[in-house]
Amino acid sequence: MQKEFAFFPGCVLTQAAIEAKMAIEAIAPILGITLKEIKGWSCCGASQAQDVDPLATLVANARNLALAEQMNLPMLTTCSTCLLMLTRAKTQLDNGQKERINTFLAEGKMNYKGTSEVTSLLWLLAQNAEEIKAKVKKPLSNLKVAVFYGCHSIRPQKDLNFESSVNPTSFETVVQALGAQVVPFEKRLDCCGFHAVYPAEKSVMKMTSGIVSSAAKSQADCVVTPCPLCQMQLDIYQDDAQSIAKSKARVPVLHLSQLVGLALGIDAKKLGLDYNVIDASKLA
Amino acid sequence: MKFIIDRFDGKKNYQQTYTLEKKDIEALTLLSVLLLIKQTQDVTLNFTASCRCAICGACGVRVNGHAYIACDSKMTELFEEYGETEAFHISPLANFKVISDLVVDWEPAMENLRKIKPALVAKSEFSAKEGCRQNQEEFDRIIKQWDCILCGCCASECNKLTADHSDYMEPFVFTHAWRAANDSRSKDPMIHAKPAVTNGLWNCVHCQECANRCPKHISSADDIAGLRALAMRKGLNSGVGPAHAKSFYTDLVEDSGRLNEIRLALRTEGVSTALRAGTAVTLMRAGKMNPLEVFGGHEIEGHKDLVKMVKAAQAANKE
Repeated sequence: MQKEFAFFPGCVLTQAAIEAKMAIEAIAPILGITLKEIKGWSCCGASQAQDVDPLATLVANARNLALAEQMNLPMLTTCSTCLLMLTRAKTQLDNGQKERINTFLAEGKMNYKGTSEVTSLLWLLAQNAEEIKAKVKKPLSNLKVAVFYGCHSIRPQKDLNFESSVNPTSFETVVQALGAQVVPFEKRLDCCGFHAVYPAEKSVMKMTSGIVSSAAKSQADCVVTPCPLCQMQLDIYQDDAQSIAKSKARVPVLHLSQLVGLALGIDAKKLGLDYNVIDASKLA
Repeated sequence: MKFIIDRFDGKKNYQQTYTLEKKDIEALTLLSVLLLIKQTQDVTLNFTASCRCAICGACGVRVNGHAYIACDSKMTELFEEYGETEAFHISPLANFKVISDLVVDWEPAMENLRKIKPALVAKSEFSAKEGCRQNQEEFDRIIKQWDCILCGCCASECNKLTADHSDYMEPFVFTHAWRAANDSRSKDPMIHAKPAVTNGLWNCVHCQECANRCPKHISSADDIAGLRALAMRKGLNSGVGPAHAKSFYTDLVEDSGRLNEIRLALRTEGVSTALRAGTAVTLMRAGKMNPLEVFGGHEIEGHKDLVKMVKAAQAANKE
């Protein structure tokens, strides 16, 4: 397993999902991973800024990638939207845009070469599932998990270029390596709606409610997602969404890093379980 | 090998299972399998198809809950995609009304397509006699979107349409609006972009299903982003959607370089809504946010250089 990464936390890990940052920083040393946070990383544009200025968004991500290159390390992120934005930028740069964008990066004496690959926590764990399994201290054998991939972990497949988007297996591989039971879950590849929660609130609340209720129907003890934005949507808005849908079902929603932490025997406080809005304390 | 097919006879829905030997279908396309079933097992099975070569877009169906055009889907590829499966579940495109078995009603989608005026409204310098010429570069700009064959795969998988189609349109409609608006011969891009805005442009949920399922590799999601940027440049920038997108750009370029979630909520929803029930308050209550962040986060290292880079790109783009 690659041991050292240029870490791109993404804005959400520094604010609304601080528990995800706590959890990844708690599991990393036990897994033997060193996360070196990229100094001066900027917002990836969050699948929004390109609506205002696609070129500025590409320039910002070329800079982010170039910062990882300066560290001579592959880049790792745990936010799926950051993953997609960075991966797409890299594809654009490597397929004809590099020279042009480098003329702009030169304004800050920077240069994109294309030497740092981008990966996610999910992908890294899936590629090293056997190694993870050997480090499990507290197998989660009694835990029934609904795995929720999140759109930008799998789509568009041609941009992410990691696994099938209609029949992905990486997440199940990881959760099973932790000893937990993966329950059949109808909505596992659906969209939580996060990116349109402001302009399309009614639809998004319906989508969020549908996912939570589907997980409850599968008798899952929790929903787990690799994407902190999906976690935020399904956790923070769950009460509102279920109230609107007149549903009593409530299901805790964990970050992938938190689930890994529980299996590694890390204390719930260090994994930030206190910050989860829907009570997740019983899972520890 | 079993094919479990969703049937609808105009009154009732049911599933019917057809069994075929794997060796007999391995070299076929999915459309050939459907034709084989119709020819050898059940003449009543209804589906639409015409060209058999991915040009007409008539044979869109779902396999295991994901849209494909049947004539362009080899069974070998489906076996590879879904592993050693014993059965495939074939159903009509989602987000369309089913008329019969795998046949769906296209009329509401066509009605939406008419709203964005997909035909060319030519600049006044063109005439019927002289024609409406464009050079290769101008044509290349819109060539990808012209590949759309109206198969409906994007619409079938669109998560927004599934949640509520009353305030949204099929993703391919936005692609055609982008194509018409960006045609060098077009009189006014807003003839096409404005009805896109008023019919749900900002309601896309960014699920990327449209880009993922298009058999022609068109990204309606990108076309939606392009239309949004165009609409804002032309002054159609009121409402929650544009405010939300702009706040990300503002944080990235004009403020600290990173998103400020407290200010994001305030900028998007406005102060009164945010204080009433908005996200910022929910986040603060959960102990996840520091209310003092409203006064701004720390500027990232190298942000002044980032701004210089962005300004250089914007200047070059204007040239």
